[in-house]
Amino acid sequence: MRTNLKVVDNSGAKRVMCIQALKGKKGARLGDMIVASVKEAQAGGKVKKGQVVYGVVVRAAMQRGRCDGSEVKFDDNAVVLVNKQGEPIGTRVFGPVPHELRKKKHVKILSLAEHIA
Amino acid sequence: MRLEKCWFCSSTIYPGHGIQFVRNDAKIFRFCRSKCHKNFKMKRNPRKVKWTKAYRRLHGKDMTQDSTFEFERKRNRPERYDRNVTENVLKAIKKISKVRHAREEEHHRQRMKGNKVMKLKEDAKELEQSIHLVGPLVKKDDMKKEKIIPLREDHRMEE
Repeated sequence: MRTNLKVVDNSGAKRVMCIQALKGKKGARLGDMIVASVKEAQAGGKVKKGQVVYGVVVRAAMQRGRCDGSEVKFDDNAVVLVNKQGEPIGTRVFGPVPHELRKKKHVKILSLAEHIA
Repeated sequence: MRLEKCWFCSSTIYPGHGIQFVRNDAKIFRFCRSKCHKNFKMKRNPRKVKWTKAYRRLHGKDMTQDSTFEFERKRNRPERYDRNVTENVLKAIKKISKVRHAREEEHHRQRMKGNKVMKLKEDAKELEQSIHLVGPLVKKDDMKKEKIIPLREDHRMEE
């Protein structure tokens, strides 16, 4: 809740604020879906400032356990905007994303991503 | 399964161990334990920290160039399983590690070669320079009455 996240796709939003984590009481973790409000947006983008959007957390500074017991963490908190069904709004994804997204059925984001960590 | 190397101390990371940090330019830093991760967060240079492999290599503490290191290399192409090859590899691993250990020991021996002579020289010098610390003690004791005890003390000081 109230976390400012960087938007790393070309949907037009620059910064969103988390207003609801769709899973878990402790807030969203890497790979979780969130509901967010657009705080900063480029003019002429697909989403406007003030709009309520869905997103997938693709990078988190908090470490997350991997299935083999090791952990992974990233530089910043970043999100890719999606629609309610989980399909990305933008057509590109910038920066590294974790391969755990495949387990969460976000294969489209993985295929758009530049680097997979 | 791949055994990675720690970014900081160059030790082997076995599956399920450690943490990896992914920078925004997608460079992956793997750490074997929290000690190495913390040192990285403190922005320490592994070449300047004495217990890392990088320091030891740089300062000639460890063997650096050897044909036994050639076998342990990162290969991106998966090898097709072959029973005979596997058997031979398993045999070779033991042999290679034996050779490497022997060479490392030899390297260590070479490195420590001059130490004993140097130590003796230093001790002799110290004895010569600081003999006055021992001198008065010997003089004060009346040597005529007890000959054995002061002598022992004298020896202990020299050591």
